[in-house]
Amino acid sequence: MDPSDWSGEGFVANPFCISLAMILTNLKNLVRTWFLVELVRGLGVTSRYLFRRKITVQYPEEKIPKSPRFRGLHALRRYPNGEERCIACKLCEAVCPALAITIESEVRDDDTRRTTRYDIDLFKCVYCGFCEEACPVDSIVLTDIHEFHFEQREGHIITKNDLLDIGDRYEAKIAADRQADAAYR
Amino acid sequence: MMGALTSLWHSLPLLIQLGLKIIAILGPLMLVVLYYTYAERKVLAYMHVRVGPNRVGPAGLLQPVADAVKLLFKEIVIPTNADRYLFVIAPILSVAPAFAAWAVIPFSDTLVLADIDASLLYVLAMTSLGVYGVIVAGWASNSKYAFLGAMRSAAQIVAYEIAMGFALVGVLMVAGSLNIREIVLGQQGGIHQWYIFPLFPLFVVYLVSGVAETNRSPFDVAEGESEIVAGPHVEYGGMGFALFFLAEYANMILISSLVVLLFLGGWHPPFEFSPLTWVPGPIWFFGKLAVIAFLFLWFRATFPRYRYDQIMRLGWKVFIPVTLIWILVIGVARVLSPIHFVFR
Amino acid sequence: MSKIKLTIDDKLVEAESGSMVIQAADSVGIYIPRFCYHEKLSIAANCRMCLVEVEKAVKPLPACATPVTDGMVVKTSSQIAIEAQKGTMEFLLINHPLDCPVCDQGGECPLQDQALGYGDGVSRFNEAKRVVNNPDIGALIQTEMTRCIHCTRCVRFGQEVAGLMEFGAIGRGEDMKITTFMEASIDSEVSGNVIDLCPVGALTSKPYRFSARSWEMSNQGLVSPHDCLGSNMIAQSVAGEVKRVLPGHNEEVNECWLSDRDRFSYEAVNSDDRLVQPLIRRGDRMEEATWKDALTQAAAILKETINKTGGQSIGALCTPTATLEEFYLLQKLMRGVGSSNIDHRLRQQDFRDDAVAPLFPGSQIAVSDIPRASSALLVGCNLRKELPLVAIRVRQMVQNGGSVASLNPLRYDANFAISHEYVVEPNRMASTLAGIVVRMAEIGNCDAPFEITSLVNTTSDQDAINAIAQLLLRDPNSAFVMLGQVAVNDPTASSLRAMASWLATSFGVRVITLSDANSVAGWIAGCLPHREAGGKSADILGNNALEMSTGTLSGCVLYGLEPDLDYSAPGSLAETLTKAETVVSFSVFRSAVPPQADVALPLASFTENSGSYVNFEGRVQFSNAAVLPRGEARPGWKILRVLGNLLRLDGFDYVAVEDIAREIPIDSAVMLQNSSDLSYVGRAEGCGAVGDLEDSIFLRVCDVPLYSVDPTVRRAVSLQKTKDNIPTSVGLSPNRCEQLGFKPGHVATFRSLSGSVQLPIYPDARVLDNCAYIPAGRVETVSLGASQTVWLDLNS
Repeated sequence: MDPSDWSGEGFVANPFCISLAMILTNLKNLVRTWFLVELVRGLGVTSRYLFRRKITVQYPEEKIPKSPRFRGLHALRRYPNGEERCIACKLCEAVCPALAITIESEVRDDDTRRTTRYDIDLFKCVYCGFCEEACPVDSIVLTDIHEFHFEQREGHIITKNDLLDIGDRYEAKIAADRQADAAYR
Repeated sequence: MMGALTSLWHSLPLLIQLGLKIIAILGPLMLVVLYYTYAERKVLAYMHVRVGPNRVGPAGLLQPVADAVKLLFKEIVIPTNADRYLFVIAPILSVAPAFAAWAVIPFSDTLVLADIDASLLYVLAMTSLGVYGVIVAGWASNSKYAFLGAMRSAAQIVAYEIAMGFALVGVLMVAGSLNIREIVLGQQGGIHQWYIFPLFPLFVVYLVSGVAETNRSPFDVAEGESEIVAGPHVEYGGMGFALFFLAEYANMILISSLVVLLFLGGWHPPFEFSPLTWVPGPIWFFGKLAVIAFLFLWFRATFPRYRYDQIMRLGWKVFIPVTLIWILVIGVARVLSPIHFVFR
Repeated sequence: MSKIKLTIDDKLVEAESGSMVIQAADSVGIYIPRFCYHEKLSIAANCRMCLVEVEKAVKPLPACATPVTDGMVVKTSSQIAIEAQKGTMEFLLINHPLDCPVCDQGGECPLQDQALGYGDGVSRFNEAKRVVNNPDIGALIQTEMTRCIHCTRCVRFGQEVAGLMEFGAIGRGEDMKITTFMEASIDSEVSGNVIDLCPVGALTSKPYRFSARSWEMSNQGLVSPHDCLGSNMIAQSVAGEVKRVLPGHNEEVNECWLSDRDRFSYEAVNSDDRLVQPLIRRGDRMEEATWKDALTQAAAILKETINKTGGQSIGALCTPTATLEEFYLLQKLMRGVGSSNIDHRLRQQDFRDDAVAPLFPGSQIAVSDIPRASSALLVGCNLRKELPLVAIRVRQMVQNGGSVASLNPLRYDANFAISHEYVVEPNRMASTLAGIVVRMAEIGNCDAPFEITSLVNTTSDQDAINAIAQLLLRDPNSAFVMLGQVAVNDPTASSLRAMASWLATSFGVRVITLSDANSVAGWIAGCLPHREAGGKSADILGNNALEMSTGTLSGCVLYGLEPDLDYSAPGSLAETLTKAETVVSFSVFRSAVPPQADVALPLASFTENSGSYVNFEGRVQFSNAAVLPRGEARPGWKILRVLGNLLRLDGFDYVAVEDIAREIPIDSAVMLQNSSDLSYVGRAEGCGAVGDLEDSIFLRVCDVPLYSVDPTVRRAVSLQKTKDNIPTSVGLSPNRCEQLGFKPGHVATFRSLSGSVQLPIYPDARVLDNCAYIPAGRVETVSLGASQTVWLDLNS
């Protein structure tokens, strides 16, 4: 029953033009209101769902498939010869909407441009993936790792070494994901 | 063996006897409350196409125990500017009437702690007392949300208490007694004797008012977590919160049992023939109670929360007139009794 | 010049006849893409990026090389123009590598910007790209010649502005390369400007290399503290560290150029040698202390010394690189405690004319007017190394038809043609200048005063003197005499100044007196023993810089200077400091704190300090701090303010640095007056006495090399690696080397009255036979002191 509708106003909507249809409609509404038809119908909906098959995924035991585009934990990749890809161009730092990336660069002994510091603040990061799109050398990537945590106060800032480690460990998966998605980019 | 136990029982002093009886009622009641919360979460989850708690124990059966343990072990925090004594008393004020009302609830013809003559009035009084806990909590917390919630709760309970009272007037007019046991006995003889049929509008009003009275969805504006955080409970945690929780669920069960007793024939089976009559009365009583208790959960899963003014409008402008009219109808029927209607 | 009307993009434009379309377009804000065109350089029209459509012309024309004509209709963004520009861009990108992410020019690159505006997204060029080797051209400029688009801006800059054609193009077409001749390094003292000029990343800054990106830096305008020009610069910083310095555009001062000294000195600010914590002496060691302790200690020991021996027993020496506010507060503090021993003229030898000096030693001609002067005489002035950007102005003057003569103790290199170069022994500078002045008087039919005529030495080369006199008198009102570092620090400096003044009053010749760094502000602020702020004569005459080391001071405040290297007589100063009870050292650098210091207070560097600089024209420029001071270092004015309060002095309650400058009375009327007092001319010691020198006695020619002028520059690593920072050595004339049988690099011992040094000897064609060139401002030459003569120890 909707009390705001139950006002009786419908009966005198237009006293000069009362048609049979109107009377019937008003009667129908009256019955509906007083016999709580809509509420019962609502209860019917929930009771039907009570017996539906449940769609909950029992997370740690069951996992749903992930898209190769999944944007999880960051990683810095290397070339097959072991050279780090990152050239400290700082485009990711510039594009990062959350200002989560901090880079410091230098001239490495072999006269190439390299980072001395590459920090990502995982608290600031919004996992938008802009850094990956901005990267001209496919160095910074978002892996499909989403199950990670930290137990130290400063653990949310992951450093260049951490990132390279992640990259090294999951390179096969990272490469496969990029390969799978390459056709749509 | 039985004889020995019986003689042991009778040898106990009256106070201890009473104490044991109270324990015998409240102990299972608390257990039921515990598992009522579990049932609520499960039912809600199923209606949301989820599975609900399923991690603690088999099928999540130990979840309520875990919750209770957690609440018991939490630190009791009293806000700096709170009224310390009222703040501590409020949950007790809330839970005590909810338990006390069970004293007069008959589980069968003979199973009742106190079979007093005006037990229905006693129940009415006890359920009305519960609102003090909420108001005192809201005041003592010294928090604007708690206070707002308490105000809402007070106004709401006042509004629905009247409709509820009128609904009971209908029942006692029909039954001719204020003793719940006698009201139930008046419904003996099969489903057609249950007061739900002559008093159907009062049944609906009583049930809905009961939902409103216990501050349950869709009338849970006092709590209103999306607007006023958690209403009167906002400053409570741990034991204090657990007591409010206990009171709320005990009240729900109490209202459910009253609905069963007053409208659904209490411990009587629906049909007075063979296999059904073999089943003991309390089983019928609890079975019916479970159905009504399930309704509370079902409502919560189905209906969105009322706007506050709509609640007030429903209470004052719909329920009270409806009950008044129906009392008139019953009165007229009583007077024009020659056709005897359904009354004996 | 007549005005011409033309239409550019439907806009009616008025332009000077003879100007180019691109200039007319720029004047009304219509942008035409360009690479090779630069307003300060000649027109080359070799990048072809500025092609525009001109009505009635058959083909698109380069806007930078098309003179405007009356009624011309130019379309800069018509179909034809855009196609031409796109075509040009495609050709430019053919050989340009796509390494923007690692290129330091990325983000501020005209080629990058214009490729976005006029380029295609996809290259059609599938052939092999050109690769060019990168010549190593020194410590300042990094080359990446594959990126070069042959705009030749750098070549033209060298030829036209710097006057040193170090870059050139070899090869033709695709094989064209911009390179140095014979793999030499770029040694110009203004070489850093090619970094700004290069429209791509072919020439980038080496110290800045890969350390930041253009978009992440915050900019702050600064004024250079290293020379008395006060070049405007922009410091760019990231996270509180200055990453590089760029020129600030100011046509009146430095145009759009910057000398390397100003551009790269910021490296010292970031060096590990910074003093970042106050130090207090405890026993033999200097220990780190809090500001509170250090300042209390400094005030206490100064107070104790004053109480014991009186206010006049303490003195303060101040670096000339300090700001106007620091000069002012330091002298206010010293005068407040009753001492007028305060000076910032650390290398000056001759103080006789202090009483008649103008408000400050400066210029009677604006820097931007120098190119229009007709003739000039440089006296004791290595202009190219002293004030590289003024040298560029003088070069413009020569290019405009002016003539320059010089009177130097050394054949200094110049990047402009010197029509009459007169090299004399240092002790004959005054007599030779007197000769020139007397000759001018003769030509001008007026009598030279006795003081001057008495100085004239008849052995001078009369032809040269005559020629120089003629030159200056050609148009005396647009001629100037410039007294450089060597002249100002000469023992006869007063005579030189007085003679220059007499020329000014008699003939209208302008005088430019150069001074160290921000010395002009020191004069105005009264950081002098004989003058208070605003040129007011001091009530009590104090000891000047030179007297302070010879007298007995029981307390000494060293403000920002490195006593060994910034002072003319380091030996005697060190002795004075050792004898003094109290030495308070304000220093930017840890290693600049003398071992005798009792308290060392860390000063903010020039990038971290706000204050005013006054250049030799009298132009007051305010410089804002670009970054916060390193560690516990604090701006000097704040330290002095607190110290003043701790010494219970009144008037040290400044809230902002601007409050201080407001207090300094600057009366511009007395700024550049000429002194007609000639009584200081004749009495110069040793003046004109040039005897035959024995084989082992040399007259020392002494100047401070370009990159040794102040503590900051001395610690700028990259500048120290340049060829201008020659290893400390003794330069003897090739004749004498041969005569003495010295091979280049022969190590010999030289003695002076104050000590001896062992240095390698190199033949130096700039040096006269009886002179030896031994630079000052170097650790190796400290023990020679300010001595004018040195003895070669032949037995060593």
